[in-house]
Amino acid sequence: MHVANKLGLTSLKDMQASTGAVYDVDTELSGTIFSQATRHANPSVTNINENQFEVNEALLVETIAFYVKNATGEVENFQNIYGSNAVIVFDLIIGNKRTMKDTPVFASGSPFVFANTANFTATSGEINYQSFLPRHQVFMEGAGILIPPQVQWYVQYTIYNVVTGAIIAPTDATALGCYLFGTKVNLNFNTSI
Amino acid sequence: MSQVSKLSFVDGKLGAPTSGQQTTRVLFNTIEAPGTTSSLTFFRSFQGLTNGQTNLTQNKLDSMESMVIKTIWLAQYATDGSLVDFGGFGFPQQTVSIIVGNQTVVKNLPIHFNQGQNGQAFDRLHENAGVRNQSLFASANIQNVMPCEIRLLTDIVIPAQVAFEVRVDSNSGVYGTGAVVCALAGYGKIFSAGNSF
Repeated sequence: MHVANKLGLTSLKDMQASTGAVYDVDTELSGTIFSQATRHANPSVTNINENQFEVNEALLVETIAFYVKNATGEVENFQNIYGSNAVIVFDLIIGNKRTMKDTPVFASGSPFVFANTANFTATSGEINYQSFLPRHQVFMEGAGILIPPQVQWYVQYTIYNVVTGAIIAPTDATALGCYLFGTKVNLNFNTSI
Repeated sequence: MSQVSKLSFVDGKLGAPTSGQQTTRVLFNTIEAPGTTSSLTFFRSFQGLTNGQTNLTQNKLDSMESMVIKTIWLAQYATDGSLVDFGGFGFPQQTVSIIVGNQTVVKNLPIHFNQGQNGQAFDRLHENAGVRNQSLFASANIQNVMPCEIRLLTDIVIPAQVAFEVRVDSNSGVYGTGAVVCALAGYGKIFSAGNSF
């Protein structure tokens, strides 16, 4: 509400407080996520029609997560596809402002997050072994970041090999997806209609 | 005191501006092919590293930027990209120190308890760090260990334009020919032009 008041969004406090998440996949392999959501199928690729919220809707981002969406549309674990040595370096841009800067998300399991012990089939039909499938998330430390209504946002990213420093290019079968999760404000007509 | 309050308090004491964009900051630095050594120093050398190996160009934050260190994260990779035991097989005993300016703010904190199958992490969150599948042959895509992470109980501030570094000491740790990475994460402020421009 502090940011909303600063922005002159006086009616935001009358709206429905909720929990929400937005997601999208960079199927164009352009290095940005959310910016081309308008062209993506809903909900198989994204759950937004455009990369800005309607009047009186907003999201306080408290968790950012990355995943891989393969060519058949399945969600995959980033480490399992790109390898432990991959790292996503991303920015979160809201309007004209860079609100997260050069933030790394390590395939091997980033700071703040831990892993699931998952079955991995080494050879089809043979014994399953347990390996780690790390999580690829950033939990906002201390303060969330508000995406206000009617302001465009997007995530800009590059994937690197942290050992060699080389850039790893995604493919159609390894497109990178992202979700932003947090406290959501939904439009509420109660006071006006 | 929360991370936000601590950073405001320290910035205020130092007379640093507090108008920056609030965010979550993760600084990282890589040492390529460190080999066998008794001392590693992260955030000292940035030469030849790409944006995928570090997100700084010098060992200090820019003017108008500051952050709180809440988490120390360490990882070791083999040349084939697989994540391996930090410091060599069997997790030899190692300590980490963080130096900010002239002050050692974290001194000889043991890290080996926080990784490996026999590790008992300082906090209660890292159950998986204490698990290792011995029968699993690790590769880049099959990970059988987790990186080492220590969550600090106190909030350590890195103010603007103050040099800092992270030192890991061991008795001939085997860090290999791949790379080792250190990340420091927590709440931070980044430069924001705001109404100034």
